[in-house]
This record gives sequence, structure tokens and C-alpha cells, in this order.
Amino acid sequence: MSTVALQNTKKRKSKKLGMKAKTLIGQLILDFILLLLAATMILPFVYILMVSFTDGSVFISGKFTLWPEKWSLDAYKLILNGSGFLNAMKSTLFITLIGTPLNVIVNAGLGYMLSKPVPGKSFINKAVMFTMLFGAGMVPAYINISNLGLINSWFACILPAACGAWTVMVMKSFFMSIPDELEEAAKIDGCGPLRIFAVIVLPLSKAVIATFTLFALVSYWNTYFSAIMYITSSDKMPLQVYLQKIVLTSNISDVVDIQIDLANTVPQEVMRMAAVIVVVLPVICIYPFLQKYFAKGVMIGAVKG
Amino acid sequence: MAKRVPQDKGIPADKGVLSNKGISSKNGTNKSVGKRMYEYRYIYLLGIPGIIVLILFNYLPMKGLLMAFQNYNPHLGITGSEWVGLKHFSTLFHDAKFYLMLKNTLVISGLSLLTFPAPIILALLMNEVRNRTYQKFVQTAVYLPHFLSWTIIVSLTFFLLSTEQGLVNKIAVEMGNDPTSYLFSKVWIYPIIVIQSVWKGIGWGSIVYLAAISGIDQGLFEAAKIDGATKFQQIFKITIPCILPTVVVMLILKMGTIISVDFEQVFLMNNAMVKSKLEVFEIYIYNNSIATGSTQYSYSTAIGMFKSLVNTSLVILTNWITTRKGFEGVL
Repeated sequence: MSTVALQNTKKRKSKKLGMKAKTLIGQLILDFILLLLAATMILPFVYILMVSFTDGSVFISGKFTLWPEKWSLDAYKLILNGSGFLNAMKSTLFITLIGTPLNVIVNAGLGYMLSKPVPGKSFINKAVMFTMLFGAGMVPAYINISNLGLINSWFACILPAACGAWTVMVMKSFFMSIPDELEEAAKIDGCGPLRIFAVIVLPLSKAVIATFTLFALVSYWNTYFSAIMYITSSDKMPLQVYLQKIVLTSNISDVVDIQIDLANTVPQEVMRMAAVIVVVLPVICIYPFLQKYFAKGVMIGAVKG
Repeated sequence: MAKRVPQDKGIPADKGVLSNKGISSKNGTNKSVGKRMYEYRYIYLLGIPGIIVLILFNYLPMKGLLMAFQNYNPHLGITGSEWVGLKHFSTLFHDAKFYLMLKNTLVISGLSLLTFPAPIILALLMNEVRNRTYQKFVQTAVYLPHFLSWTIIVSLTFFLLSTEQGLVNKIAVEMGNDPTSYLFSKVWIYPIIVIQSVWKGIGWGSIVYLAAISGIDQGLFEAAKIDGATKFQQIFKITIPCILPTVVVMLILKMGTIISVDFEQVFLMNNAMVKSKLEVFEIYIYNNSIATGSTQYSYSTAIGMFKSLVNTSLVILTNWITTRKGFEGVL
């Protein structure tokens, strides 16, 4: 009797061990699949980063490996010194640095207003939602910008993107989740509504504000289409347009706009990759720091709220 | 999207003593609208910049839709141009090019609809990763492409696939094969576009589903484990049914965009060889009005208006269907 029981437990144990091994293998396969996926996102950048630092002569001879035999900064020197890059950088910096704070303030302000029971709230709410449903389209938008006198102005890239219905709605539902008591207490202490907003509400909404700052920052940094629509002079074009020209042109030194004959020693391909790295670097640097905010708070709010 | 939040539901706004969050709760309910507006003057001040932006850049352009019913002449403006009624729309429906654009748009959207489950699968996979640090690493990597511009992604595609400089072709030549011009091939263009979109969007799309999965009651899984359910059974019998409402909402949003394609992507991938495959509404509108400064403003507006109307109807329709089926809608 007892031996049978013992055998049974042994059997069960080995079965359990088998299960464990099975789940372990399953986990490994899973981890591997995800590693492959992550690699497709990261490796392209490792590749172009390495090529961009490779010395021209090594690259031309075809002896390129993932770790350059001979390093060189020539491509970056060319890109960063060309007047084409400097102009483009100036445009992008203007659009990003003016646009981002403006975007966040405008959206947060409207979101805050809609979180209060102000008269006319439901009408404004509907009017904001409607912009999400229906847009006039490209040509009316263009005519409108030109009527407003914003053609060839960087503000044509900044202002239309300064207020977005989705952002306003997410911010609104976040502000509504802040307990009334806090604002109430501040009010009793003699705080005006504007100060309550600046001193109580905004600091409590750090996660949302950080997330939408990142979104605004990235979308202004990535300004492309509004620039080719509304900006007419080529020296006011932002970085993304400059990058597109560099990658697609057959004669790169025209776009980079540089006289030094160094241009002949650096292969176009290496210069292109250096340009991509320069344009993508700020985004890659900023984003991991803000990731902790958007991974939780906001997106959940966006779906449920 | 924004749905009703508790405060909205219970208390009627016009009697909002309690819901006023203390700002106008001084003395009672019977204040005139004007007085209450005055009390909220600073709050309005905060909202006004946003309202101005929406009026200037979202509502003011709608005046321009009138161009679709005119022969618009930039020198005469909307008030001075000749009215032609629905002429442009009838031209549109007789235009062979229109059907080509519609076909291309639907094919591209249809192909991208096929990849709709990709972020869901990714979320299910990521949810099963036991090691938190590894999960964080994978998340950081897969969210990244969402923040990259199409110029960057198209550049990467170029470095990978171009005939002379592309990595794939270099390897092919090394191995003794002939290079393939993927970027100029009518066969390859759709797969390339779909893969680009998945690459850019899969990680970001998975966030919503991951959030939904983390909201599932853990007790369900515990109970299933005790009953001896395998991992796969748990996924198919618990996880997927529980995130179904989220899936439906995302599907609605996707359906609403079926008539639009990503303009920047298609614009940047376009070239003389694949033009006929990538001729979509936005490209046509851009090329025939703004890019060339031609006088086709009215016709282009009509095309854009047709697209917007179909878009809006699709969203309203799919929302109506899902609400009737008992799921929460998005509007």
C-alpha cells in the first residue's frame, strides 16, 4: 500500500518537474521572440551609428564590419559645419522651443476649463470633440493659412498643432480626478483660480504634463509635412526636410552646402547615415527618461477616461 | 477617448452647487448665467487660447469647403468666385483616377487591417515575461519607433533596401546574386509600406492592450490555475475575452481611418515607378493644388471633402454598431 502511494507521489513529482521544464522552455522561446523583435528596433541604429563613424577609405574598400577598423569623425564635421544644417537646425529649434511650451499650456488650459462646470461647457466640449471627427482637409487649411498671412512663417508649423482634441480630453479627465478638497483648501487660504492652477493642479499632474510635453516635443521636432506645405524659402526648412533631401539627393554636397574638398573623401552613404544620427539623437536621448510616465498613467486614462 | 466622468453624470450642471468645486458655491443655486460666467472668468481665461486655436485652425478652414461648390479663383476669393453646384462631385464620380485612388487607399488600409492583431499578440507575449527588467528593456525598444519621423524610417528603409547602397542588396551581391530594386518595384511596395507601419506602430499599439490586461482581476487566473488550466487556456479563456472591449474600441478607431493613409509615409515612399500604386487622395490633392500652385483648388477640395465625409460617417457608423452590440463606444 505504502509503496504504491510513494510511487504515485514520485510519478506526480516527475510530472511536475516535466511541467516546470516545459514552462521554462516556453519562457525561453518567448524571451527569444521578444529579443528578435527588440533587435529589429535597435540594430538599424547600431548599424548606421557604426557606419557613420567609419573612415571613408575603409568603407569604400568594402571591409566594413559592425565594429569599424578605423574611426573617423569626418562625416559629422561635414554635416555639422554645412550652412544647410545650421539653417535647418535653427528652424527646428525655433519650432520646437516655441511650440512645445505653447502646446502644453494651451492644451492644459482648455482641459482645465472643461474640467470645471463653467457655463457653456457641454457646448465647448462637443465643439472640441467635433474637430476630432471632421476636418476641412488640405486645401481649405492651406487657403486659411495663407489668408492668415502665415505662409513662409514658422508659426504655420506651430499654431495649427498647438491644440489637439485628444490631448485636451485626456488632460480634462486627469484634472477631474484630482480631489476637490485640495483646490478647496487652497481657495480658503486665499489662492486665486490662476494660482490654484499653477501651484496646485499642474504640480499634481506631473505625469500627464511630462507625457504631453514629450509628445509635443517629438511632434514639433518631427515637423515635416506642414513645412513642405507652408514654408516656401528653402533656408527656413526644418531638419526633417533637410534630412529627406540629403537621403534622396544624388549630389549630397549641394544640400549640405559646404566648400571643403573633404566632401570628396567621405562617401555619400556615410554622410547620410551621420545625418540620420544627428536628427534622431535628441529623440532617442530624451525618450527613455520620460518613458516611466507614459507607460502607466496617461495611456490608461486615455482608454478608460 | 473622453467618456462621461462621474462628475458629469449625477449633478445637472446648471444647478451645480456641489459640483462647482467650491468656486461659485458662495450662496446658492439661483445665480444668473452671466453672474456665474463672471465668477469663472479666470477659468475661461485659461481655456481661451485653446478655443482661439481651434477656431482659427479647425473651424475657420471649414469656410473653405465652399470652394468645392465653386470654380475657385484665388484672386476673387470665396465671395467672388463662380458657383457651380455639385459639378466637381459629378466629375469626381466619373473620374477613372478617383476609382484608382479609392482602390489604392482601400488596398493599403485593408493590408494594414490585416496587421491589426499584431500589437495584441505582442501585448499577450510581453505580459507573460517573468523578468521585470527584461520586460522594461523590450518595452523601451519597441516603443521607440513610434517617436521617429517618417523621414527617419524611410531613410532606414533606403539604407536597407536601396539598389546600390542597401544592406540587403550588398549581401545579395556578395553572395553572387543580382541586386533587386525593391524601392522601385510595384510588387514590393505594398509589403514594404505595411512592414514599415507595423514596425512603427506595433509597440505603441500594444500599450493599450497591456493596460487592459493589467486591469484583469488576478483572482480569475488563480481560480483557473487551481482548476488545472494551462497557460494557453488561461490566455484564450480569460485574457482575450477580458480585453475584448478594448479590442473593439481600437477596431472602431481603425475602421474610422480606413479611407485615409499616412500621407507622409506614402509621400516619401513615392517615386515614378510605383506612382500608380501609391496614388491616393492626399497625394493627388497635394500634387494638384499646393505643390504646383495650379488652379485645381476646387476639385481638390471636393475630393478632400468626400474623404472627410466618408471618414466621419465610418466612425459614427462603427460606433453605433458597437454600442448596439453592447460594447462601450468611443464617442
